[in-house]
Amino acid sequence: MTEENINALRQADANLREALKMDEAERAPMPADLNERLMQRLGSAQQEKKSRRTIWPWIAAACVAGVMMVWLTPPKTETTDVVAENNPKVETPVIEKTEPKQVDEIPEEVETNEAVKPSHVRIEKPLLAQKKPVKQTPAAETLDEANTDMAVAETAEPQEKTVTLTESDIPITRPENYKYTPEEIALLKKQANEAYLKWAELELEISRYTLEQASNQ
Amino acid sequence: MTDIDINLIQGLREQSPKAQRQTIERFGNEVFAQVARMLPAVEDAEEVYQDVFVKVFRNITMYDAEKSSLRTWISRIAYNEAITWLRHKRQAVIYFEDREGKAEQLSDAEVEETLGHPNSDTVQLIRAALKHLPPDERAIITMFYYEEMSLKEIAYVTESIPTTVASKLSRTRKKICKIIKMLQS
Repeated sequence: MTEENINALRQADANLREALKMDEAERAPMPADLNERLMQRLGSAQQEKKSRRTIWPWIAAACVAGVMMVWLTPPKTETTDVVAENNPKVETPVIEKTEPKQVDEIPEEVETNEAVKPSHVRIEKPLLAQKKPVKQTPAAETLDEANTDMAVAETAEPQEKTVTLTESDIPITRPENYKYTPEEIALLKKQANEAYLKWAELELEISRYTLEQASNQ
Repeated sequence: MTDIDINLIQGLREQSPKAQRQTIERFGNEVFAQVARMLPAVEDAEEVYQDVFVKVFRNITMYDAEKSSLRTWISRIAYNEAITWLRHKRQAVIYFEDREGKAEQLSDAEVEETLGHPNSDTVQLIRAALKHLPPDERAIITMFYYEEMSLKEIAYVTESIPTTVASKLSRTRKKICKIIKMLQS
């Protein structure tokens, strides 16, 4: 059927056209608020789009910052050493407080070499000071006293004070900090043996002395 | 295409709320009528009507002015949305299906006499018969006789070709006659 024939039919089918007109006339009209509802829906959809656009860069930035923090934060066990090596500024006030004699010598070095390389005194003392809080045992303190020479022993008192500074990093109340290493246990045994021998020698000396006194009398 | 149409399409491409409102005001009634005549309830028509315009504004960049007018393009979206809704909802729609091909046996003279000669009783019978047509056939009949769209435009809306639309129209005319005869008997 050609288009001309079809168009002729459109004119010829008067009843059909009339029926369709009547049907359309009787059709329920469009609700008056339908367009308003549609505009509201469109507006809310656009707002959602905008908010998504503005929020996602911030979320991404926060995620990156979080990952960086986790990545760059050193593990807790190494914190003390790393801080002592890389951050001499943090440790210097402790030294100033505890060792007034050395502080008099240090300030010039602190001013000149702080950024480039920390001075010998500043490296050693934080290390010594931080070994004790890591062990957190009375036995450890005695070990250090025994092993350090006289020069270091002189500075032992101020170093003991610096222990309080690292408490926030490794609190002494934590039970896991009371664990002894095998080396420590071996050292403790060795020291106990030595102490026992010394005590025996001392007892022998005392008994010899009393015998001598008695023989003299 | 007039300057108003060009400006309207440009505004829609820029997602301008003013252009969107103008489009709704201009084509809203036609779209609602088209959707309402295909769907069983007004509430369904309201839902599909909103979906149609949301789709129109979202896909305006895909509109090609060389292929069709804006009105025909929107009409195509409305037709597809209504058909998709009917398929997805699986709404129970009862309509006449000429499985035995009895409508095809009717002569052209018989069909012309029923549909052509002005008669108020026949008009009422035709109205009753239209309700027994499937939604897509009713839509094609309305587009051709009421909206006076060309075969090419109807083919664009229904994603078909003009010759198919012509044969479908011819078949539907005969089907209407067959339904009238059934109602009369």
